[in-house]
Amino acid sequence: MMSNETPILEVSNLSTGYGRFDVVRDVQLRVGTGEAVALLGPNGAGKTTVLNAIMGLVKVRKGQIFISGKNMAGLPAHRIARGHAAIAPEGRRLFLDQSVEDNLILGALHLRRDQDRVRKLLDSVYELFPVLRKYRDRQSTYLSGGEQQMVAIGRMLMADPEILLLDEPSVALSPVAVEIVVKALMELRRRGASLLLVEQRIDVAVRVCSRLYVMTHGEIVDEMTPEQVNQGGMSILNKYLG
Amino acid sequence: MQFILSGIAIGSIYGLIAMALAITFYVTRTINFAQGQLMMVTVMLTAMLSAAGTPVWLAMIIGLVSSCILGVLSYLIAIRPILQVNRFSFGWLVSTLGFAVILENGAALIWGPTSRSFPQMLISYRVPIGNAVLNGQQVLAIVVAIVLTIAFEVVRRRTFFGKLGMATAVDPDMAEAIGANTTVVAIVAFIVSALFAGIAGLLVGPTTFANPYLGSTFGTFGFIAMMIGGGTEKPVAAMFGGLILGVCAEGANALINSQASDWFPFLVLVIILIISPRGLFSSSSPLMRLRRPPAAKA
Repeated sequence: MMSNETPILEVSNLSTGYGRFDVVRDVQLRVGTGEAVALLGPNGAGKTTVLNAIMGLVKVRKGQIFISGKNMAGLPAHRIARGHAAIAPEGRRLFLDQSVEDNLILGALHLRRDQDRVRKLLDSVYELFPVLRKYRDRQSTYLSGGEQQMVAIGRMLMADPEILLLDEPSVALSPVAVEIVVKALMELRRRGASLLLVEQRIDVAVRVCSRLYVMTHGEIVDEMTPEQVNQGGMSILNKYLG
Repeated sequence: MQFILSGIAIGSIYGLIAMALAITFYVTRTINFAQGQLMMVTVMLTAMLSAAGTPVWLAMIIGLVSSCILGVLSYLIAIRPILQVNRFSFGWLVSTLGFAVILENGAALIWGPTSRSFPQMLISYRVPIGNAVLNGQQVLAIVVAIVLTIAFEVVRRRTFFGKLGMATAVDPDMAEAIGANTTVVAIVAFIVSALFAGIAGLLVGPTTFANPYLGSTFGTFGFIAMMIGGGTEKPVAAMFGGLILGVCAEGANALINSQASDWFPFLVLVIILIISPRGLFSSSSPLMRLRRPPAAKA
């Protein structure tokens, strides 16, 4: 089942949480180079906490997180963000009082001394989402939900990281906007990006990813391929996801 | 005319201290109640060193640098440890007040509780404006306040670091996730705010002389100015709050009695906070709601 490709991300025995409680227990997952992997699960399963732990936003209590063979567990988020991982978080969390282009350029914070690279990354984001070029000077607060999601994904891409972390990019979007986001993620796969996608929508995960982990109650309980889901696995998934 | 100009001059000082408070609040969502004492340290050190024969310019620089160092220490000792335990804790209310008490009493212990002379700088110059007269120090205060306010806004809006500060102010976790070391951003904010407070001290020193208890008065008035203007939302609004406060205080002295500036600003603060709880120039203020916002896209 597990990919034989070199893992860009390897999480082993990860336990983390908030306060006295472990929200996530002994999670093991792996994303190969150029691979797209989904983490599915119902609300409260601990999916976002796993992403936040990888990103350094939640303290790792136990276990290890390797990105390209380097252990990131315990490093602060701003160090992990220096080209190792970048996140498009749940709810987008744009800097709403700043323009689209300022949000994107802030995403390339660790590359700011290499303006040529920043310019190239900016062009590639505008190529992926042409509408953002049109709205580059517009304050982000005046964008629609779909456009804000494009900025969030673009800001993540501006870091040019080894692994992309996406937290429910389809949530609260119109069907048209979801389609644009899904096509963008498929294009990123075509470009060879490695990504870990947290989703509740099985259809989105199946279209974008080559493997799916299922998580409930803080633990990974199953692993599937899109083919297995299409050949009858959907009922099992629906059981997990409630 | 005289009280308006004098009010603008003293209001510029209040505005600088209010901006100092607002800058740290803007980035860290905390208020450094030792800000007035940082101003006092600059004044006391400048007075002591210049009295000992150090050139005034050098004494002022040493005073400002000391204020900046203490500003950073106030963050590292009185604020950061609390926020590390719980980012939403209000423990800094007590710890920064404690830091202020230590600085004030430390200064009184070192330099004594009485006032010392301060270099006269431009106070002996007279600048007639219409039928009013300001001294050179008052004119300097107004000019410096204008320059620093504009410079701050230009840096905040136009530079990469300013935009990073805005990002940290809006969402510190997300700022960390894009690679910002928010501790460094906060330290820079505390340095800049201590610099504003220190400069305010140098501008007002020739009028007030050097006294260890100077910080309490100006810290309180700076806080009122910040709240009047709406500096918790935009640091530049704190400067306008300072100007309003200065004119009200001088107006009260001129039109009511010479002690009225002790209580009148508090009355103004209460009235303004009833009308606009987040300050006159905050986005929720009735004044600002008169400006039609751009239409949001559906």
